[in-house]
Amino acid sequence: MNLTTFYLAVAGLILAPLVGGLVSGVDRVVTARLQSRLGPPLLQPFYDVGKLMSKIIAPASHWQGMFVRWALVASLAADVVLFAGGDVLMCFFIQAASASFVAMGAFSGSSPYSKLGAQRELFQMLCYEPIFLVSVLCMAKAAGGFDANTIMNAGAQPLLYKMPFIIPGLVFVLLVKMRKSPFDLSACHHGHQELVRGVFTDFAGRDFALLEVAHWADVVVILWICSFLWATGPLQMVVVALVALFVIILIDNVSARLTWRHMVKVAAPLTFVLAFANLMWLYLE
Amino acid sequence: MLDAYIGVLVLWPLVAGLLCLVLRSPGARKALVLLTSAALAVCAVGLASQTPFTANPNFLASEGTLKVAEALAIVFPAYFLLRGLMEKHALVIIFSCLQLALAIWGMMNMNEPQTVQNAVVCDGLSVTLALVVAIIGSLIAIFAIPYMQHHEDHLKLAKSKQPAFFLVLLAFLGFMNGMALSNDLRVFEACFEATTLCSFLLIGHDNTPVARQSAFRALWMNALGGVFLHSGVLLVQKQFGVVDIHAVVNPALWTGASMLPVALIVAAGCVKAAQMPFQKWLLGAMVAPTPVSALLHSSTMVKAGVFLCLRFSPVLTNTTIGAILALSGAFTFFAGSAMSLGQSNAKKVLAYSTIANLGLIIVCAGIGTPVAVAAGIVLLAVHAATKGLLFLCVGDMEQTIGSRDLEDLRGMVGKSPVTALAACAGALGMVLPPMGMLVGKWATIEAAKSNPVVMALILLGSALAVVCWVRFAGTLMSGKPLPTPEKAHHSSPLTNMPLMTMLACAIGLGMAAPWIDALMLPNADAASVFTTGWGLMPPLFIVCLLAWMVGMKVLGRQTAVPQASPYMGGLPSAEPGTFVGALGKNWALTEGNEYATEIFGESGWTKFAGTLAGLLLLAMVGGAFI
Repeated sequence: MNLTTFYLAVAGLILAPLVGGLVSGVDRVVTARLQSRLGPPLLQPFYDVGKLMSKIIAPASHWQGMFVRWALVASLAADVVLFAGGDVLMCFFIQAASASFVAMGAFSGSSPYSKLGAQRELFQMLCYEPIFLVSVLCMAKAAGGFDANTIMNAGAQPLLYKMPFIIPGLVFVLLVKMRKSPFDLSACHHGHQELVRGVFTDFAGRDFALLEVAHWADVVVILWICSFLWATGPLQMVVVALVALFVIILIDNVSARLTWRHMVKVAAPLTFVLAFANLMWLYLE
Repeated sequence: MLDAYIGVLVLWPLVAGLLCLVLRSPGARKALVLLTSAALAVCAVGLASQTPFTANPNFLASEGTLKVAEALAIVFPAYFLLRGLMEKHALVIIFSCLQLALAIWGMMNMNEPQTVQNAVVCDGLSVTLALVVAIIGSLIAIFAIPYMQHHEDHLKLAKSKQPAFFLVLLAFLGFMNGMALSNDLRVFEACFEATTLCSFLLIGHDNTPVARQSAFRALWMNALGGVFLHSGVLLVQKQFGVVDIHAVVNPALWTGASMLPVALIVAAGCVKAAQMPFQKWLLGAMVAPTPVSALLHSSTMVKAGVFLCLRFSPVLTNTTIGAILALSGAFTFFAGSAMSLGQSNAKKVLAYSTIANLGLIIVCAGIGTPVAVAAGIVLLAVHAATKGLLFLCVGDMEQTIGSRDLEDLRGMVGKSPVTALAACAGALGMVLPPMGMLVGKWATIEAAKSNPVVMALILLGSALAVVCWVRFAGTLMSGKPLPTPEKAHHSSPLTNMPLMTMLACAIGLGMAAPWIDALMLPNADAASVFTTGWGLMPPLFIVCLLAWMVGMKVLGRQTAVPQASPYMGGLPSAEPGTFVGALGKNWALTEGNEYATEIFGESGWTKFAGTLAGLLLLAMVGGAFI
């Protein structure tokens, strides 16, 4: 490990949550504008987390604080691995650990809504993991290596030209991972619905604030990996990420929630098969 | 010194077992099992410190031993035939007759093969299996002491069957060690058959109709495996006149030769490793007392199968049968993981997960490159410790509450915290980084990078496994809407000691995985381990350690404060454990996991996956003719 890698890793640790918070702010402003509202200020997510941090609320289970911190650490570790140009598969596995800890925290809570959310969170993982990883395999095959640096320096031609069929899969993964309609199955943004807050029901105060930060870190990882599709320069990558973000917000605003059965039986298999077909195509080429 | 170590590892368990049978008293048995465990562990570590080496201990190399091994090739099938005839079990009769016919034909027609230079050749793979058997197997044997006592108290037997039980249990360990170390195909085969016999006796130990049925199912399937192995060995002898295993697995030997013997031998490994479509014998093994299923699933028997495949992996590299074997392993990994997701019976979850993970090791064998094989060995060792731990935990919890259904195990962390938390650690260790199982899986994916179907199947299986194991751990840790009065659970130190040691093994091996991987690689590759993804692990361990400390601090803080009352979405007027729902009524709260049986149901998958896996296996043997 050389010094540059180290600086990059530290940058990842600090920048990822900040960028993720900004993404969340942009998300709220754009969503509001789409709904003809003014919306909160751009930095509202940071104010929210700041306020949550100051609250001390009785936990629903004494295990939750532990799992929340483990989830946060895993999410940040995934960021660091990606920033330092590490193995993308491993980065994603580390992030899956974070999601598992969130589910564990929800399981150890006492509210039935929280446990329902945990079950659904797991089924979501079941659906997005293979699709996302097959997309990563496509990128790795085209670029000739599994680590982020190799994929980003793959060549003059954007990877997107070689893997158009992973796009539906990536959109699906982003929707699930950012908890957006129609796949906001495990935790919706609106506490008054039948799910209540799903997997987050039992988290409150500081624990919840830290989970929010972990979520920001996750979003950065996913958006960044998506932006590998057009990695001809930093600006292009940012544009890809912003376009992806806008598409997700748009879909969120025009669709209603589907059931988890639909996700497991229709949406996930369909997008997986497309992504896999693309992978086979790359190998047969 | 080495000869003494090998002698203890291979012969002493049988002697100790016979002593158990003769002495009969529980005290003597306990002492013998503890002594054997300690001796095995010490000798295995002694061997490991000398690896790699070759040895020629007299008791494995002499003419007499080879005569015994050849005689056993007839004695075992004859016994199987006898039991088959007594039970009128057609399949057992057919396959044991075939085994007998092959053995007799081989004796009559085969020329004396070249003398084997070294009776024992110990490399990384052998010593790993020996260590796994000696340490994990011994821990299970210790766990069996109080467990079997309790088990027999529960059954109210007039005459204890424990002496015979421990004879078979201990002898099993010896035969496994013999298999791991011997370099003569004939001795190897005798030990291989001996493990079939031991598992048959152990599964049928309780002698209930279900146990008998399962035992005979295990017997016919493994007798079929024996037929595969013996015909493979005879063909090897015929083709080359060699029975030295390390000479046989030299790829140079096979250039231009028919690969049929290798395909047959590997198929025997797949049967023993309970690969689909032969998974049913391992599922049947659940009916046996917990130490038996723990032993069969983690450190013995199934590991014999993957050991055989890994041993032959150098010959499989870049061959058609290697590619098909990898594909069939990956498919078993995927299907096994899917089936474990659909189970609420905790032991079945474990069983299907075992089948799946063995598939993963078979993938490594099929790929056959040094990097893949090293990953396979890491998986073998870490899986043994982790799965052993999980079996012991589930067995202990089953004895505590009298049920092995995951729904009944909900919130076990309140009833027997130590065991439940150990089980959670094992469950999460199966799927989360930086533990060895996940890292091994990841290394396998990257080793399979020339085969997209294998990679995709592993990814699918891996996602299924995450869901299955996190749900398993989450259910055990599930918080109760209402705290129930807790009954203190007293367990024997002989239960807790193996549990805790196994936990330490599982976590230690899981964390040591990158170093084990480096040890298993040839020198040229070993240096590069830490520049690849394995190198990510040491920093991750430090991160984990920090996270652990922070987590413990928060846990301490949150344990001290009162907890919030559960949110039921109801009105404050609801009574405890209920919520006010439709009709303004108080509805009692019930919880349950979603097993999605309409998607992951057992019967549908068994048919579909069994057929497909069977075709793959046929294709593998057929591939040898191409």
